[in-house]
Amino acid sequence: MARRVRRSGLTMPINTPRFVDRSWTRNCDYLNFDFEDSVPQSQKAHARTLVAHAIAQGLKGSADITLRINCAYPEADVPAAVLPGLIQINFPKAETAEQMRNLDQLITEAERVQGIRPGTIRIGANIETTLGVANSYEIASASPRIDSFSGGTGYDMSMDMGVEMFVGFDQFVYNRGEGALVAKALGLEYTGSVYVPDTSGNVGDRDLTRQRAEANRKAGLRAGGGLHPNTVEPQNVGLTPTPEEVQEAQRILAYFAQLDEQGEVEGALDGRIIDKYEAARAAELLEWSALCAQKDAHKAGAQARTKALEASGRPQA
Amino acid sequence: MEPFVRRSHLLVSARDGAQVDMSWRHAADAVILDLADTVPDVEKPRARANIKAAIPVAARGGAEVFVRINKELADADIIASAWPGLTGVVLTEAETAADVEEIATTLAVAEKEHGIANGSLSIIVMLDSGKGVWNIRQILTASPRICSVGLDEGRLCRHLGIVPTPAFDPFVYAKGRVIIESRAAKRQPVGISHPAGLFPHCDDAEERYRLALRSKNIGFAGVICPDPSWVEPCNRALTPSDERLEFYRETRRLFAEGIARGTAAIPYPGTTMMIDVPVDERARLTLALWERCAARDAEKQAALARLT
Repeated sequence: MARRVRRSGLTMPINTPRFVDRSWTRNCDYLNFDFEDSVPQSQKAHARTLVAHAIAQGLKGSADITLRINCAYPEADVPAAVLPGLIQINFPKAETAEQMRNLDQLITEAERVQGIRPGTIRIGANIETTLGVANSYEIASASPRIDSFSGGTGYDMSMDMGVEMFVGFDQFVYNRGEGALVAKALGLEYTGSVYVPDTSGNVGDRDLTRQRAEANRKAGLRAGGGLHPNTVEPQNVGLTPTPEEVQEAQRILAYFAQLDEQGEVEGALDGRIIDKYEAARAAELLEWSALCAQKDAHKAGAQARTKALEASGRPQA
Repeated sequence: MEPFVRRSHLLVSARDGAQVDMSWRHAADAVILDLADTVPDVEKPRARANIKAAIPVAARGGAEVFVRINKELADADIIASAWPGLTGVVLTEAETAADVEEIATTLAVAEKEHGIANGSLSIIVMLDSGKGVWNIRQILTASPRICSVGLDEGRLCRHLGIVPTPAFDPFVYAKGRVIIESRAAKRQPVGISHPAGLFPHCDDAEERYRLALRSKNIGFAGVICPDPSWVEPCNRALTPSDERLEFYRETRRLFAEGIARGTAAIPYPGTTMMIDVPVDERARLTLALWERCAARDAEKQAALARLT
């Protein structure tokens, strides 16, 4: 599957029009419309009728569209969620491989009904409980629709572990390790994050979000997301390689090509050892940088077209 | 298994009459009478003979009573310990499900012989080898008697050839594994954050509380206390604090109001916090835990009141 750019993303209740209708203006790489915890029980059925509209809103800004269903009744949620334009179903509180196989079958059937090419819709397995961490490998390997994975952190996880959230150290260190190992062992993209101390719990803190995104970028991690619009730009910027990093990567690759021509496998550039691993890291960074630029161009183009349409007063999708 | 409150487990040597006589005075949720590492082999018969009388002494303040046994000597240790009033045993050296099954069978026999309800004796597993830590899932699920699991850090160091130092925690991974696997299997993880698991001597009361709180916040539900000075800080740190109760009650009230209005995301006034389903759920769980802790403290108070 093609590599995706998902530096920033907002999760929002699908039944709140003021969020959904403005979602395309946020400049997110992806949007995650929610059927789950942000939607009250009495609104669940109504929420299922809002998917086509939400997808159309999100696509106006060229965001990738994902949707979080409820883990307790995927058979009700999946047929409503799988519509053209959706690229991923997120399954919260994933705990067993059986849940993933069941979800895979439901999606296969929904793709058939909608005439969507089989295998298009991915599964995001969200690990949010201790049982989910314990079963990480089985879960992540249960469906070919799962192409990325990370360990369990966050609010639900902290609850199941009986720990407070913002204590100034990483309560999820084991979970992160399990998630990273499982992702890499199965050849999936690791979408986890490094630990950055946070004792405030402010979901809209721009500086902290930027700091966290920078820390992740420096560790080679590429994915972000959040709940507050303030998180979007700090992540778009913080997870994109800087011009200096791009230049440095080009220099490393040129130097390595030169080494290669000389029949050498390693050499020192400014006191730093350059070998095939450093070269591969530099190549990945250039690839990532190009993908980010492409994504930014797509989003800017779509937003400009939508704004022009709105200004011309023609009817909207 | 019904949720239980066992924040502090005070460990005392069964051979030390003075320690046993004092064991009920420290308000521990549980007292562990040790027949294992603190009792030399030649002393074991005498220590075993003390257990029957020691159980009601240790229980005087309302504590549950456990006996720590040796795997190799389990038959003799268990038959000497399985008297009414005993809650269960603490098992060391378990490495496989078969080890646990063997102990469970011995407990069943002892229950029958001593007129104790079938299946009522629990097992706390203290893992002390690489193999035991690796096999934690099969060990945990080998018997419904298993209520809790922890690491015996000193033994694990010896087994792995680790020379402990206060400067870094050699068991970040092992503790994480214990916490995740035990909670996933609905058992309670017991343990304490570094360095207290290997260097339990601590004269600073504030530091004891800080480490106990940190233990709670890495995911432990209870602590094995090698010394009575740990009991109070552990009881306090593992009980939701009073100041949070009002906050959680208000959280639940605001969320219920929001639901009635058709929204499941409600800002908490004066903060940047949004109350949604998991926030409300945490409030519910925390209040329920507080109720259980308060009930447990009341039981201990009542036991003390009966003594006077």
